Amino acid sequence: MEDLTEMLKGTLEGCVLEIIGREETYGYAITRRLNELGFADVIDGTVYTILLRLERNGLVEVTKRPSDVGPPRKFYALNDAGRTELATFWAKWQYVSSRIDRLREGGR
Amino acid sequence: MSFWETITGSDLTRDWKAFEARAQVLPADYQAAWEQIKGNLFPYAGFTGRDLTPIVDAALGLLEEASADGLSIGEVLGDDIPGFCAALAGGKGARTYRDRWREQLNRNVARKLGRLGG
Repeated sequence: MEDLTEMLKGTLEGCVLEIIGREETYGYAITRRLNELGFADVIDGTVYTILLRLERNGLVEVTKRPSDVGPPRKFYALNDAGRTELATFWAKWQYVSSRIDRLREGGR
Repeated sequence: MSFWETITGSDLTRDWKAFEARAQVLPADYQAAWEQIKGNLFPYAGFTGRDLTPIVDAALGLLEEASADGLSIGEVLGDDIPGFCAALAGGKGARTYRDRWREQLNRNVARKLGRLGG
């Protein structure tokens, strides 16, 4: 699916939180996961800016670990604030998607 | 940071020398992007440019990680370096020089109007 950038804008941060919430991981691995899911347009730079924002907002634990290919990598894990934020994201998603589905089905 | 460093900016010079040294060892296409990133981040700098240091460090960090992963620069930043830089500098704490200047101007104008009873 091409050109989802605009539609994904508000939801990508929640997707990244969900991926980090499953296991501690690093930037490029998150990008690859999103690409595998079918979001081919998502690039490393976008994910990286989201990770920086999560870090600034105190939602993740960051650990530098040595890498076998280059400089140490930053690994991200959710902290309590991050888990709360993720739960909020899914609640909002549930609300919006159920309303949109209802609209499409012509209900009220 | 010592008072002397604050006054002379010698700490900044040292930071930038370290940044440039890190950029030197990146692949050529990455170095070209680095030059563009610097240019695009400049408008976000405050009066001293000190608030830009962590942002520049973050940008370099991405370039280093991604080049080690064997990605092309296009895969990493797409075709929107200005957008990437805006996202990097965006959010809290990166108010630009222009923002502050605007605020000051608005305050001055408001004061003048206040005095005029407008």
